[in-house]
Amino acid sequence: MNNSQSIQSEIKRFLKFFFQELKPQGKWLTPFNIITIPIIIVGLIILYFRFTEGLGSVTNLSQKYPWGFWIGFDVVTGVAFAGGAYIITFVVYVMRVEKYHSIVRVTVLNGLLAYIFYAGALVLDLGKPWNIINPIIGNSFGYNSVLFLVSWHFLLYMIAEFIEFSPVIAEWAKFEKLRKILNSLTLATVIFGITLSTLHQSGLGALFLMAKPKIHPLWYTEFIPILFLVSSIFAGLSMIIFEGTISHKVFKKLIDPKHHHSFNEIIFGLAKGAAISMFVYYFFKALIFVHGKHWDLLNDFWGGWFLLEVIGLVLIPCFMFAYSVRNKSLGIIRVASILSLIGIILNRLNISVITFNWNVVDKYIPSWQEIVVTLMVISCELWVFRWIVTRMPVFEKNKNY
Amino acid sequence: MESYTYLNIFETKGLEYLLLMCFLVLFVFLIRYLSTDKEKK
Amino acid sequence: MDRRNFLKTAAAISVALPNGKTKAENQNVEKEFYGVLVDTTRCIGCRSCEVACSLEHNLFVPDITKDNAFNSIRDTSEKQWTVVNCYDTAKGKVYVKKQCMHCWQPACSAACLTNAMFKTTDGPVIWRENKCMGCRYCMVSCPFDIPKFEYHEWNPKIQKCKMCYERIIDGKKPACVDACPMDALMFGSKRELLEIARYRVYSHPEKYEPKIYGEYEVGGTGWLYLSPVPFDQIGFRTDLGNTPYPEYTREFLYAVPLVLFGVPALLLGLNMLTERKNEIGKTEELNHE
Ligand code: SF4
Ligand code: SF4
Repeated sequence: MNNSQSIQSEIKRFLKFFFQELKPQGKWLTPFNIITIPIIIVGLIILYFRFTEGLGSVTNLSQKYPWGFWIGFDVVTGVAFAGGAYIITFVVYVMRVEKYHSIVRVTVLNGLLAYIFYAGALVLDLGKPWNIINPIIGNSFGYNSVLFLVSWHFLLYMIAEFIEFSPVIAEWAKFEKLRKILNSLTLATVIFGITLSTLHQSGLGALFLMAKPKIHPLWYTEFIPILFLVSSIFAGLSMIIFEGTISHKVFKKLIDPKHHHSFNEIIFGLAKGAAISMFVYYFFKALIFVHGKHWDLLNDFWGGWFLLEVIGLVLIPCFMFAYSVRNKSLGIIRVASILSLIGIILNRLNISVITFNWNVVDKYIPSWQEIVVTLMVISCELWVFRWIVTRMPVFEKNKNY
Repeated sequence: MESYTYLNIFETKGLEYLLLMCFLVLFVFLIRYLSTDKEKK
Repeated sequence: MDRRNFLKTAAAISVALPNGKTKAENQNVEKEFYGVLVDTTRCIGCRSCEVACSLEHNLFVPDITKDNAFNSIRDTSEKQWTVVNCYDTAKGKVYVKKQCMHCWQPACSAACLTNAMFKTTDGPVIWRENKCMGCRYCMVSCPFDIPKFEYHEWNPKIQKCKMCYERIIDGKKPACVDACPMDALMFGSKRELLEIARYRVYSHPEKYEPKIYGEYEVGGTGWLYLSPVPFDQIGFRTDLGNTPYPEYTREFLYAVPLVLFGVPALLLGLNMLTERKNEIGKTEELNHE
């Protein structure tokens, strides 16, 4: 009796607190708002047409290109970028490298939001989204499908990430007891989350294994899953560097100066990791290239495109990372991280869209509506991100862990 | 796919091992490069 | 006429004879997939099959007298499950019917995460509306680009040939097979059809290319084709390989349970290992004091 009453009053307190927090803080007409609000509105209008008149009314998808920008960029690339979360949690919780502890929260938050929004964008692309429960509730399990695996993993991983992040929410809402319980779950969910990550990062690549006759032979290999897994490591690391640099400018006030100082050290550590993983990835690429005996394919446009991706956007940023670590140059690291992010985008799009059906005459080019909806998804994510970091203890140094 | 002649699927193995050795050497250099600080020198 | 009758008898014999058993005896034996043999040397391009298919399944019925369809190479679409194309070859015009191949190990159904694409035990690969979630992964995977999607519907369907599954259950032949006036299409089990196809190729080597498309392609398909010219000249892909497409994902899917068990154990081990190291560090510190 007593107990339930106290829970009730707790919930009441929380709801009051929550609505109070929902209110916007600060000025309304920031440049960020001015850009993103119209995008979101236009995006919603486009989505209205998409759900009433069918996918064809707003996208350029065709019978030859069943998957376009929404899958290739939002889902396949977005998930690669979210790879940072599993790497950082691995380093901090499994390997116990305390140096990176201060960025765990923001990285996990980023990963969680990326999954909710970018993997959520998958729903927009489904022809019959209401049937999405079918593979989940068990009336039609297609165990034989890679996509079955990937969708289940998305779901489970979101839950795992949420639990990893939940102590922060509990701290914010002042649920002391709950926070302790959630905290004790961290290691288990971290281990679970890393395992799921290895599988669905590679699973996204494995999706394309059956598209063998359609993908350009320079990109198609039976090792796509492994390549996706390895490249998700430096995709995630580059994303942390890129995103961290920006949020350290934008949310300067929220970050205590001590942390600011150590953040540079963290960046050098991450850059080192990125350089090594990129080098390994480059070796894999070279090995597969040799094994495939594809030298004759290098002569045409696609060959040049391939070299641009592999040398220009993997090997060069790799050296830039290495150089900047040695010379302690933050500027070069930033450039390198942007280059390698572009490289990842190109790689994922090459496999899922650009070289897909490469010999078909009428190529797919995303429509402006598809791009606006993608921007809308990103804007929504940034809104939620901003809302959370300005309210919850994400950046603050925390004593409780 | 339908071939009536001998097909050696491991034709490039030798080359692959060579590549491996080159990259191992390069990798050692990379690690050494990364783990020495200019400032300390 | 004579020859056709002869072939029919030959077919009938090979139906009854393969194991020296009659059909009734075969009933308990594992059911064999049905398929269709398309003999492009017999097809005259009348397009009766197109019309029959569309009538049977309430699809768009082409106006075969007026639409000049042979001027271009058409593809099946979300409105038409089968089309006949005309190819100019060294041996004159060759008409080729196109539809789902009803692969023996279909990529589409291996890809489908809801089992909406489904290989029935009778051979047809069917699509079940109430299960499909419209992800279009089947379209990505099908080596023949057969499943088609209704991009302009709010509640879209995947459209593809289902080999008249309901008719087969009723003991009838597919509508297109019944409609063909030239016996270019023949319905039966693959074992029988292959016998007949080989017989035709061997007895008329000047007329046929010595290859049966679909015998081995992508692990074997339910629909088989005979052609007077090499198959790449009449719109077939000959680079698809003989491996069943689901095989390409097999290793990955096998690895999943291994990873799901092995990696957590490994990670936990690593975690405990680093803990030990810390402890040792602590005791050493203590010793130093
Ligand atoms: S041809 Fe395509 S749609 Fe038809 S069974 Fe084979 S994989 Fe499936
Ligand atoms: S679109 Fe439908 S039939 Fe095709 S793979 Fe997805 S759920 Fe299965």
